[in-house]
Amino acid sequence: MIGPAVGNDTTRPFTGRLKIDARLLLASVGWLPVVLVAGLVVVVVWLSFQVITPGQSANFGWRAYRELYGDPFVYQTLLNTGWFALLSVAVALFFGVVAAWLVERTDLPYKNVLFTLMTTGVLVQGFITAMGWVFLLHPRIGLMNKAIASIHGMEWATVDIATPMGMGVIQGLALAPLAFMMVAATFRSLDPALEEAAAVHGMGLISTLLRVTLPLAFPGILAAGIYISTIGIAAFDVPAIIGLPNRVFMFSTFLYFRVQPEFGAPRYDLAGAFSTLMIFLSLLLSWLYIQVVRYSHRYAVVTGRAYQPKPVELGRTAWLAWVFLGFYLLLGQILPTLVLLWNSLLPYFQPISWSSLDIISFSNYHNLPWSHLLESARNTGILMVSVASLTLAFSVAISWTVTRSDLAGRFVLDAGAFLPHAIPHVILAVGANYVALFLVGKALPIYGTIYILLALYVLAWMSFGTRVLNSAILQVHKELEEVGKVSGIPLLTCLRKILVPLIAPAMVNAWLWMALLSYRELTMASLLVTPHNLTFPVFIWSLWMEGSITRAAAASVLGLACMIPLVALYWVFGRRASGSDTAI
Amino acid sequence: MTGLSVRGLTKVFRTKSGSVHALRGIDMRVEPGEFCVLLGSSGSGKTTLLRCVAGLEKPDSGEIRLGDRIVFSDNPKTFVSAEDRGFGMVFQSYAIWPHMTVFENVALPLLHGKRKLLRQEVRGRVAHALRLVQLEGLQDRPAPQLSGGQQQRVALARALAVNAQALLMDEPLSNLDARLRESVRYEIRELAKKLNSTVLYVTHDQVEAMALADRILLIGEGRLLQSGRPHELYEKPIDPAVAEFLGTMNWLSGKIRERGFVQTELGLLRVHGAEKVGSELLLGIRPEDIRLKPVPSGEINEFRGEIVDNTYLGDHRLCKLKTPGKTMVAKLVGTDMGYGTVHFQVPEERIVVFHPNHKGKEESK
Ligand SMILES: Nc1ncnc2c1ncn2[C@@H]1O[C@H](COP(=O)(O)OP(=O)(O)OP(=O)(O)O)[C@@H](O)[C@H]1O
Ligand SMILES: [Mg+2]
Repeated sequence: MIGPAVGNDTTRPFTGRLKIDARLLLASVGWLPVVLVAGLVVVVVWLSFQVITPGQSANFGWRAYRELYGDPFVYQTLLNTGWFALLSVAVALFFGVVAAWLVERTDLPYKNVLFTLMTTGVLVQGFITAMGWVFLLHPRIGLMNKAIASIHGMEWATVDIATPMGMGVIQGLALAPLAFMMVAATFRSLDPALEEAAAVHGMGLISTLLRVTLPLAFPGILAAGIYISTIGIAAFDVPAIIGLPNRVFMFSTFLYFRVQPEFGAPRYDLAGAFSTLMIFLSLLLSWLYIQVVRYSHRYAVVTGRAYQPKPVELGRTAWLAWVFLGFYLLLGQILPTLVLLWNSLLPYFQPISWSSLDIISFSNYHNLPWSHLLESARNTGILMVSVASLTLAFSVAISWTVTRSDLAGRFVLDAGAFLPHAIPHVILAVGANYVALFLVGKALPIYGTIYILLALYVLAWMSFGTRVLNSAILQVHKELEEVGKVSGIPLLTCLRKILVPLIAPAMVNAWLWMALLSYRELTMASLLVTPHNLTFPVFIWSLWMEGSITRAAAASVLGLACMIPLVALYWVFGRRASGSDTAI
Repeated sequence: MTGLSVRGLTKVFRTKSGSVHALRGIDMRVEPGEFCVLLGSSGSGKTTLLRCVAGLEKPDSGEIRLGDRIVFSDNPKTFVSAEDRGFGMVFQSYAIWPHMTVFENVALPLLHGKRKLLRQEVRGRVAHALRLVQLEGLQDRPAPQLSGGQQQRVALARALAVNAQALLMDEPLSNLDARLRESVRYEIRELAKKLNSTVLYVTHDQVEAMALADRILLIGEGRLLQSGRPHELYEKPIDPAVAEFLGTMNWLSGKIRERGFVQTELGLLRVHGAEKVGSELLLGIRPEDIRLKPVPSGEINEFRGEIVDNTYLGDHRLCKLKTPGKTMVAKLVGTDMGYGTVHFQVPEERIVVFHPNHKGKEESK
């Protein structure tokens, strides 16, 4: 016995309170969002079989599918979506892979500046870039198009951005930072000895690159490509800003139009049928993605220490690399932002000229509907904090159950938590819209409140939260918790006192990232917003859709300005993101 | 202090690549206040057994009792979870919580464990535990700033501080360097004896086991091979595998020629208890039991051989003795005998005899 035998503490009976198994408690908390997501998917599929005839109760049948697949407009939409996704993957990979190689494998000067710009670029809202590009390349009034057309004989060279391919390029520019982060992670995990061996045996830079580095990185690049395609086929921001006003539809805007039609009744059955098709496609892509990722891990080196490989010396070609990168940054971030800024100062959209310098003013800012703006900003602020916190709490429960417990079904739980990664968010939003309006509307009047957005965002970011926490928990030695358990500390106390403090950096990182994702979210909100639960991105978008495009620009500038401190916060506290974990 | 008993314990791990029978029916006891060492080669199931006892792993069948209390049983189904069993445990990795100080590491189980103490009691208890492991004064040191040996002590202090029913240790010394290992080993035994603790200690190092144990439990492939005091296992192994595990053996196979005499690869050998003429035997002789002599002395069981290899190891030498039928290893303490022809004697009373139903490892030479 150690010390004064304090009481008879070895035999003190355990308190007779009703004992709830904390493991089961955690698991149930974890299962809740997973069941809800699965429920939304089921609802969407179920909707597709509904046959609604006015004045009669609903029947079930294949009508929606027959109507859908007999409609040339649907084929056009599918074709649009295909081109759009293809172009966005191509553009994103082109810039992303080159930039990743430059950062991870060469001695490019100022590479951390590039790294910073690229990582924060992930967070720039796609709809802001899209607005900028409309100002630049609008078929009739875009600044660049005007400039091109003003050169005699060059009229043919004007670009129509309101095409699937034009939008694909813009979306690709917006997705390039994500491709960069994923591919950079691949390059980082490649065994540098393989490249060095090639160099030692007399292979030059180019042939090493082509014959060793790229083939080795190929599975990782392929995985990034598949992942970006899943985003591409359902992306909403760019098609909503550029496509909708010009009546060029993609899958996501098709859904939006069927659920929130300008006139007539919503067609949930059609939305459901199209979504069902896309669910299959997305699940297929995700399955492929998982296979490829598994395959690509074969080449990864798992050394504890950071082994610094000798970088490729760019020497005097370094400036060329920066010209390339500058070109990307110009197209992807600088030009669209500048042109937004410029237009936010103009009373109406017009080309740049000396005369327009006389009329610049802050009137757009003055004339913003400030009460709406403040309300939407407040909603967005509440969402950021509550969504990030709740998602984190659910993610801890899920990840702990998956990685640490021996409960049956934990692998199903893990797969379920990955579901929102696979199923496009716009589809979940369709399901949530219907559920809130027609299924639980009476008992739980959450339609038109920010609670519906809160719930949906939590479900949507859950996959991101669990990916980050799974890997964080796996890095904590199991024995650190086990020793607590053996010395009598109850599970929940072990989590609070031991596990959570140890994974705190990852949790802070995930929290900030999810807060930022909630800040920029437009897709799901667009399907669920009413005048009573406006969010800031929807506020900007609705200004745009009603034609107040210079005021929309002003609001966007304000939005970007607000993001700077947020990103800085992320930079200071949360910068641990491993690229492949990042979800949009 | 409480004793510990295990009956018919089995554990199968089911993995994607098939099932691993980690424990195949273990029966064992640890008496109150006894220092028991689980010894076995890598993968023999020691850690699994210890984790089953601790409650970190759920066995498939059998029974585990802590004193009179059944903490696991397959019939009727009983499983007391780890936090309710009341052990103290030291892990191979030490599992020191890196975000806490030394004090907090020792105090956390006292503040939040099932056997909660009052706040003012905790300070005294922690101080006492740290004094026992000679870490007083390091209370406020953050855990990551400790050396390996100090972390090991903190882990020990934490396990001691809860006034555990029994202490479980899984290779607690394997991450220390050889010199430190020896001194800490000694301290652990001292402390356990001073506190009259019941200890179940896992190691794969037979020297460590012999130095620490009141009793060694030797396990192999998920079964208990033999248990007994260190010298019993060393001198009277019941199985060639046990004998081999505890130290090098010279193996001879032979047939009983007449009562007391066995024909072996060395020649005719006089052996105690060789009764049944015609039956086969396996004989083991430890290197240190072979007596080397420069000239023949005419004693029984004396043979001639040639030293073909002679390795200096500080306090002793290992010599390879070549004879026409067999090459033997002998341990030589004292004057070097160089190379070349020598005589050696195998003392009759030191020969370990295994009967043929013990088909054991035979040295292939
Ligand atoms: N969680 C597990 N899943 C599957 N198999 C396991 C697991 N834990 C242990 N095993 C297997 O059970 C057997 C016994 O393992 P155990 O860890 O008990 O060995 P050990 O005696 O402690 O070995 P060592 O001295 O190397 O620590 C081994 O074959 C091991 O591969
Ligand atoms: Mg072990």
